[in-house]
Amino acid sequence: MKKRLSTLQVLAISALVVAVTAILPFFVSGYILGLLTVAFYFGVFAMAWDLLFGFAGEVNFGPTFLIGVGAYTAGILDNLYQPPIIVCLAAGTLAAIVGGLVLALPALRLRGPYFGLITLVAVLILSNFVVVAAELTGGEIGLTVPDVITVNADTNYWLALGFMAVSGGILYFLSRSPIGLILQASGQDPVQTNALGFNVSKHKLAAFIVSAFFSGLAGALMVFYFGVASVGTFVDLTVAVQIIVAAVIGGRRTIIGGVLGAVFLIGANEALRPVGDLSTFVVSAIALVVVLLFPSGFLGLLSRLRGAE
Amino acid sequence: MKPWDKLVRGGVLCAGAAVLALSAGTGAQAQDKGPIKIGVIAEAQSVAGSSIPQAAQLAAEEINAKGGVDGRKVEIVSYDNHSSAAESVRAFQRAVSQDHVNAVIASYVSEVVLALEPWAARLKTVMVTPGAASDVITENIAKNYDAMKYTFHGYLTSGALSGLVCDAGKDILVDGLKMKTAVIMSEDAAWTTPLDAGYEKCLPKIGLKVVDHIRFSPDTTDFTPIFNQIEAKKPDVIITGISHVGTQPTVQWKSQQVPIPMFGVASQATNSTFWKDTNGAADGVLFQAVSGPGVATTEKTLPFVKAFHDKFGNDPSYAGYTAYDEVYYLTDAIKRAGSTNSDKLVAALEKTDYVGTIGRIQFKGKGDPHVHGLKTGKGLITGLFLQWQDGKQVNLWPKDLAKGKLKFPSFIKVSSSQ
Amino acid sequence: MLFWQILIDGFAISSLYALGATGFTLIFGVSGVLNLSHGALMVAAAVGAWALNSELGAGAYLGAAFGVLTGIVLTLVTYHVVVRPLQLSARIREEEKEIFILTATLLWGIMIQELIAYFFTNNAKSVLPVVAGVVRIANVRTPANEIFTAIICWVAIALLWFIVNRTRAGKSVLAASMNPRGVTLLGVELSSVYIAVWVIYGVLVGVAGVLLGMFLGVSSYSAGPLTASAFSIVVLGGLGSVPGSLIAAYAVGYLETITAYTISPAYRTIPALLLVILVMYLRPRGLLGRR
Repeated sequence: MKKRLSTLQVLAISALVVAVTAILPFFVSGYILGLLTVAFYFGVFAMAWDLLFGFAGEVNFGPTFLIGVGAYTAGILDNLYQPPIIVCLAAGTLAAIVGGLVLALPALRLRGPYFGLITLVAVLILSNFVVVAAELTGGEIGLTVPDVITVNADTNYWLALGFMAVSGGILYFLSRSPIGLILQASGQDPVQTNALGFNVSKHKLAAFIVSAFFSGLAGALMVFYFGVASVGTFVDLTVAVQIIVAAVIGGRRTIIGGVLGAVFLIGANEALRPVGDLSTFVVSAIALVVVLLFPSGFLGLLSRLRGAE
Repeated sequence: MKPWDKLVRGGVLCAGAAVLALSAGTGAQAQDKGPIKIGVIAEAQSVAGSSIPQAAQLAAEEINAKGGVDGRKVEIVSYDNHSSAAESVRAFQRAVSQDHVNAVIASYVSEVVLALEPWAARLKTVMVTPGAASDVITENIAKNYDAMKYTFHGYLTSGALSGLVCDAGKDILVDGLKMKTAVIMSEDAAWTTPLDAGYEKCLPKIGLKVVDHIRFSPDTTDFTPIFNQIEAKKPDVIITGISHVGTQPTVQWKSQQVPIPMFGVASQATNSTFWKDTNGAADGVLFQAVSGPGVATTEKTLPFVKAFHDKFGNDPSYAGYTAYDEVYYLTDAIKRAGSTNSDKLVAALEKTDYVGTIGRIQFKGKGDPHVHGLKTGKGLITGLFLQWQDGKQVNLWPKDLAKGKLKFPSFIKVSSSQ
Repeated sequence: MLFWQILIDGFAISSLYALGATGFTLIFGVSGVLNLSHGALMVAAAVGAWALNSELGAGAYLGAAFGVLTGIVLTLVTYHVVVRPLQLSARIREEEKEIFILTATLLWGIMIQELIAYFFTNNAKSVLPVVAGVVRIANVRTPANEIFTAIICWVAIALLWFIVNRTRAGKSVLAASMNPRGVTLLGVELSSVYIAVWVIYGVLVGVAGVLLGMFLGVSSYSAGPLTASAFSIVVLGGLGSVPGSLIAAYAVGYLETITAYTISPAYRTIPALLLVILVMYLRPRGLLGRR
């Protein structure tokens, strides 16, 4: 881990990878593209989580609160008034930011497991709300929205890829900027960081807003990809678990690792279809092995391999 | 550590290679030659869902044994969706764009079917659900028929279910037991909204006054408060609308010795394992179903159950019956359409008149608010009414198919019984 | 009448919450582990009890005993396979171990849950109660099983208190939770203390799971909500504080019961969730949290 790649190198490699994946639609089936489209959105979820957790060092069980608020706001708006999709996306993103602020208010006072609890409770309240307000939200059977961005698999794929690349770029840049460093420092020793004159709360609030922005927008985009918003897809704790697992096995504090983790999780689940009922078990077991034996995740593993050569 | 490194490095590469390998299959459009492919998307871990691919497979084998459809074999391609809407959408995409299926049979979960419905429209692929109950599915088709016409509702909607419960309630509760009052007890969920509305409307018509209506959170585990509240109203019967829950309220109904019978829709009670899951607390529970052990709803019912049992060692769930029928009438429609073209297939399916295992199948036509829903009533589908008695599901209704008499455990007080 | 109903029903469900949460808080207090496979372990114990009776016809007592045993064995496996390797790992920085243990136990919980669904389907199951029938208390018809549940919960909690405060082994556990190094200096083998604590935790998880299966029933889906509820109660009460957990368990249990009776069973859990937010805002360390 000592031998860290420079920002420039990372950017160059990422740009190359993005360029290569961008021409995939000319070679692979629409099905693979659909798979990767979902994986890319998931990657954004994981990256946004990584900024808040990885750098600020807080146990955050609530990524789906921000995602769900964004997704449902966009979906409900479209369902009620059918404004242009871009308006729905903006509203969803805005709602997620407001949700992030509301969550941040009590959350900033708390640390460790207490912080974890408040984020967990936020998710539970949201999913309760969705079921209770079924008239508006469609309840447990989900909300079908009348519009989708496009049914073209290629376009959806490029949209997701572009969105993922831009979000990844911004989040990575932020994490390497002084803001990221202060967040990281506060995660390790908040008292000292404060004593050095940095306003930790302010930076955490900023991290919350950025995380909410990308989570909410990604959630809203995904609604208009699937054509449906449902608790099982956007809010449920199992979704949060997948996001956390993606970020952790991809490599925490790397931002980009989240995408690797997401692609792995979704790809592996698909590749393991022959195992049938046990595929979730096998994927969880693989992830557990990664956590136990390679705590720095795939990216950490890669840099170690490079170091060994 | 070294061997581990290698192993995991290999593992990562393998996963990568697998993703690439999946991408290899491209091209090849759906053709009117070769086998007829039917995709089955279902929840393999749940009792209701696991019967779906099995029953479809059974139907396909039977059709193939008789020479297929105009010489074409029927092939079932199944996908496990882990009850997730997102995974189902991916499976649906895979089924259509990679495996080139001609039609899809999908899920008994309303959330999943509703998520797939727009995809059936977008990818212009016929989809039939063997078990979802939401009225919204057919309402969506009515709202935008030209786009959404590819979805067919091969099971009863909640609205239709409430009507069937009232039909049976009239004979069993009102005429048989002289009951006068009822409390509706249902989980607070979108699928029960039309069910409850139906109950509220039809129960007074058959002569049961609704004295209270309790909706509870589907996450409820402790039902004591609910039963106590119901008891305080002193109704003659509890009319149920439950699916997410089943075991818990039944066990607590027995352990608290609630003296009021339960009657209505209780999806989990249709499972043959329900007796074991509840340790026998199910004794006396009355529930609506489309099929029952030993009940020959049509001449096809019992042969199907026997064949299913011989092949898989257990009885089919309700979605198994419908999935089995669906393979038959789908292939029949393909035969009549003379093509697997989706638009022609829709037109042929709309003309379906097929006697299956649960009754005579006809779809409601264009213009009906529940277009592509099943027609119900005498001579079509009436459903059954069963009761758990000593570890067995015994059919009580309709009379000509009854296999036994109403019987309650001792803690039930049926006051006005004759 | 309503008052007595709420009092009695609330007591039974709260006792069960309390027992479930006690083990969770104990293991955090002594070894700093938040075990997110907690719910899955409870479900496994209940399903173990159900399976032995329903599949092999072993009867209520043998089934219950087997369920508790399942809980103990799985808890020890959790400790040795998942928790201990992470605690000993030199590659993870100390301040990061918490998130690793959380993630790993979460994954472990999912694995247990998936295996249960694979072998026994995800249908809800109920464990055959040891006692059947109903008793009238203050004119409220109460299932004997409910009373049995409350009694066993309190016996278990009282035994735990006795072991920790009155026995030599228990005192070293207590000491270990306050100052692990000090205990080592006194010549107590720390690892055996930890194993003892995990065994106690296993017993609590097993008993709570089996009682839950008898009283309310469980399915593989219950694992997540059970963990979430234990976690909420324990953090609400203040991490590591057993009395805090007990108070929180009763607060949550009664709040849910009162809501179900007087407002609507549809909103059962919501006031309790709001209470958590309120307490977290006013007392960021929980009701009786240390410092």
